[in-house]
Amino acid sequence: MTAMTSRAPSMTSARPSGYRKTSRRERGNRISRHTALIILSLLWLAPMILIISTAFKTREDVQVNPFGLFTSFSFQNLVNAWTEGHFNDYLLNSVLLSIPSTALVLILSTFAGYAFARLPFFGRSVAFYFVILGLLVPFFAYMIPLYFQMRGMGLLDTLPGVDLVLATTSVPFGTFFMRAFFSDLPGELEQSARIDGCSEWQIFWRVMLPLVRPGISALGVFTFLQTWNNFLVPILFLPGGSFRPLTTGLFQFISGRQIDIGPLAAATLITLIPVVAVFLIMQRQVAEGFISGAIKG
Amino acid sequence: MAAVRSTLPKVTRRAQARLGIIFTIPLLVLVIVFFGFPLLSSLYYSVIAYDGVTANPAFVGLANYVQMFTDSEVWHALGNNLIWIVIGTIAPLFLGLVFALLLWSVKRGSRFYRLALFFPYVMPGVAIGIAWSWIYDPLYGWLNTILRDIGLGFLATGWLGNPSTALYAVLVTAIWGASGFVMLIFLSALQNVDMELMDAARLDRTSVAQRVWHVVLPQITPVFIMVTTVTLVGGFSVFDIVFIMTSGGPDNASDVLGTYAFTNAFQLNNISYGTTIALLITALSIPCAVILNRIQRRLSIEGQGA
Repeated sequence: MTAMTSRAPSMTSARPSGYRKTSRRERGNRISRHTALIILSLLWLAPMILIISTAFKTREDVQVNPFGLFTSFSFQNLVNAWTEGHFNDYLLNSVLLSIPSTALVLILSTFAGYAFARLPFFGRSVAFYFVILGLLVPFFAYMIPLYFQMRGMGLLDTLPGVDLVLATTSVPFGTFFMRAFFSDLPGELEQSARIDGCSEWQIFWRVMLPLVRPGISALGVFTFLQTWNNFLVPILFLPGGSFRPLTTGLFQFISGRQIDIGPLAAATLITLIPVVAVFLIMQRQVAEGFISGAIKG
Repeated sequence: MAAVRSTLPKVTRRAQARLGIIFTIPLLVLVIVFFGFPLLSSLYYSVIAYDGVTANPAFVGLANYVQMFTDSEVWHALGNNLIWIVIGTIAPLFLGLVFALLLWSVKRGSRFYRLALFFPYVMPGVAIGIAWSWIYDPLYGWLNTILRDIGLGFLATGWLGNPSTALYAVLVTAIWGASGFVMLIFLSALQNVDMELMDAARLDRTSVAQRVWHVVLPQITPVFIMVTTVTLVGGFSVFDIVFIMTSGGPDNASDVLGTYAFTNAFQLNNISYGTTIALLITALSIPCAVILNRIQRRLSIEGQGA
């Protein structure tokens, strides 16, 4: 639990340097470091660059030179993917799958995380370990019976049903995460609020909740990315195809007989844009969420 | 904790318990219905012969388990999982550590490097699969183009279509995706490394390798174990990237337990058999997670004591 508080690396340098005189050797060292890092960064971004380059090619260029970098420019592929490829619908479905499930995860795990951290009741630790079991058990363990259970409940191939499943896969981590945040708050806060006449609800709502806002936003970003990128849940529980999100829409695209590379690249780009946006705007929360995601269990 | 609780008046304790139950019930309902119940059903599914249609499937005892342990394809898939786990754990650990150490004292541009190297980890698996299968494309792919350009054209092959390279080609993609994440974890651990110790070691004219091995690594061992746990446990249930890039093909060559279970359950309608294989995945990954977690706790406690 203590590891929970390990801060995300800020995107600025971690150690103060400059208290030592820079020698020629160190300067050479620095240059070679940067050279290595630039090459590695380009290698790691290469697939992304490839997607962008191919997405903006003209139809003719894709046919002769699909993966040559930035040899032509047109919006034709994007228009194609958006209209004929139905990626406008898929985008909407992705939003309808990730936003409600993320909201549900945030609400459930904030309330339960608070209870598990600060509101003792009979059977609390049993309940907590049961929820946390979800961190240990892979989705594979229960996904097949869940399919038939969903079919029986009439939830198969429905957006609300899949939202509930997505929330279930993320909520054990969320609960664990929020519980750690609430546990770290000082007990004096609670006591003084109680002396001031706050009810238990008011202590939670007015005193404690505002203090864990950074945790909630980190969890929100993390859960959103997880559900947006989720592939297995929609491919299993939305078999009909009428509510296909972007990920399985792309998969459908590449399982077809003839793959039209240009529109496919454009469709991939459409899938990636929200991820890139969230990643760049909320980089601190992303890092924090993923680092604590690793500490789970 | 206990001391604090006992000082509270009974009314307060009762109010806390009431609110606590109200706060947890919605969560418990969700988890029981969509996790607990299907998890128990899994055990039941594995002792019947269910094809997804029959109303009253026959009880078959341990027949599915017997079939699983005598199915050579299961052993082959498990072997692929082990290859995946060994290479897919060691390579990202190594690369992640190298990235972190390269970045450690870099100031300018550090933010860009971190974003670039970590970004693949947040990309959706399908997008990764698509981009990499283009890189591996036999005709136009960058990999083969480069090989031909540098005179190694005889090495060029259809990386994903060749049974002897398919699994490794997917694995390289997975390593590419995971390294930046490992880097991020190491960077946050490196912030806690004692810099005075590093400077002392530098004054003693130690080499970089010596400093990393003797000073840095011992201080970040718990993180090492933690990252190993994540990649290792994930290695048993790997599915997305393999399914997307090869579907376990060509001809089962790159099958892992996850794709084999999925194919059995949802393409061949051997629901019960697929569930049994999925339980094998569970049975393999849970003990690993628990054991490594124990080691990690012990190490971090020792680390605090020192």
